[in-house]
Amino acid sequence: MEDAELAAAVSRGDGAAEAELYRRLAPRVRLYGLRHLRDRHAAADLVQQVLMTTIERLRAGAVREPAKLASYVLGMCRMTVLEMRRGAARRAQLFELYGDMEEAAPESQPRVIEEARLADCLAQLAERERTVVLLSFYADKSADDAGRELALAPGNVRVIRHRALGKLRACMGLE
Amino acid sequence: MKRHLDFAVLVDYWFGEREDDALEEHLFACAECSARLEELVRLGAGVRNAFRSGALNAVLPRDFVERLKSEGLRLREYRVPPGGSVNCTLTGADDFVVSRLQAPLAGVERLDLVYVGPDGEAQATFEDIPFDAAAGEVLVLPSAAAVRAMPAHTFRMRLVAVGAQGAKPLGDYTFIHTPG
Repeated sequence: MEDAELAAAVSRGDGAAEAELYRRLAPRVRLYGLRHLRDRHAAADLVQQVLMTTIERLRAGAVREPAKLASYVLGMCRMTVLEMRRGAARRAQLFELYGDMEEAAPESQPRVIEEARLADCLAQLAERERTVVLLSFYADKSADDAGRELALAPGNVRVIRHRALGKLRACMGLE
Repeated sequence: MKRHLDFAVLVDYWFGEREDDALEEHLFACAECSARLEELVRLGAGVRNAFRSGALNAVLPRDFVERLKSEGLRLREYRVPPGGSVNCTLTGADDFVVSRLQAPLAGVERLDLVYVGPDGEAQATFEDIPFDAAAGEVLVLPSAAAVRAMPAHTFRMRLVAVGAQGAKPLGDYTFIHTPG
C-alpha cells in the first residue's frame, strides 16, 4: 500500500491501516530518536508521541500532502525532538495517555546478531580496530572524541572504524 | 536522493558526524537504508553486550576505564612498573581486571604488546596497539571470562617500541595469577 492510500485509510479511522502505519514507520522514528537523543527510553517516547500525533492529524484531515507521509513524520520527529530537548510537558501527557502501547515492532524481521560469533569476530580485529569499535559503540564517541582519547586524527579514526566495521560485517555474514 | 546510501555514510550519520536533511528524508522514505541503519544499531548493541559480558580483550584509553568505573562496574587494577611483577586474581565481586603497564612512551612511534611464554619466547604479538604517550602507561583489559577460567599460572607481557631504529623492549610485566 502506498503512503497516500495508507494515509487515506487512517483518516477514515481504519484500525488495520493505523497498525500498518505504526509497523511501517515506528522503526524509522525509533532510529531517528536513538540517533538524536542517544537514549532508548527517550526514543520509545518519541515513537509514541510522533505516531499518535500523526494519526490524530490524519483523522482530523490536517495533513496537507498525505502522499508525503514519511516526510511529514520526519518533520514531526524534528519538532518533537526539539520539544523533548526543551523538556516540553506534552511528552509526559502523551506518555501518560499512550504509554501502554507496545514498543515498535521491527519493520522487517532483522537478522539476529549472534553474540558468540560477534565476540569471535571482534577478537579477530587488530587491537587498534577493536579499541576504536569499543570507543564508538560502547562509549558512543564520535571520531573527534575518540581521536582525542587515542591521540589520533579524526580522519584516521574514521578510516580505522570503517575498516573494522567492514571486517565485522564480513565476518558476521551481514554484507 | 534516489540511490541507496553507502554504509560509510550511515556510520558517519549515526555517530553525529554528518548532519544532512536530504539524507534523513531518504532514510525515512527508504525501507532498505533504514533496515541497514537498524543493522548497524544492532551490531553496536552486540558489541556492547560482548564487552559487558567479559568476552573481549582490549587495550583501552584511560578515559574509557574511568567511564566503566563511573557506570558502577567493579574493576580490579594492577599497576606494574617495567620489570615488575604482581600477584593477581579476579574474584566473583569483580567485573573486570585492568593491567596498567607503566612505560616511558615519549617519542614512541609504534607500540607492540607481546605475550611471552615461560621460556621467554613470544607466544602472540599484537602490533600497533593504541597508546597515549603522555599517559605513560598502557591499559590492558583481558577477557574476564577467559581469566575466570584460568588455573593458577604465571603470565608475562612485554611492551616493545618499534621505530626506524628497530624494535626496543620497554619492559616485561609478570602476573602471578591465582583463581578467584
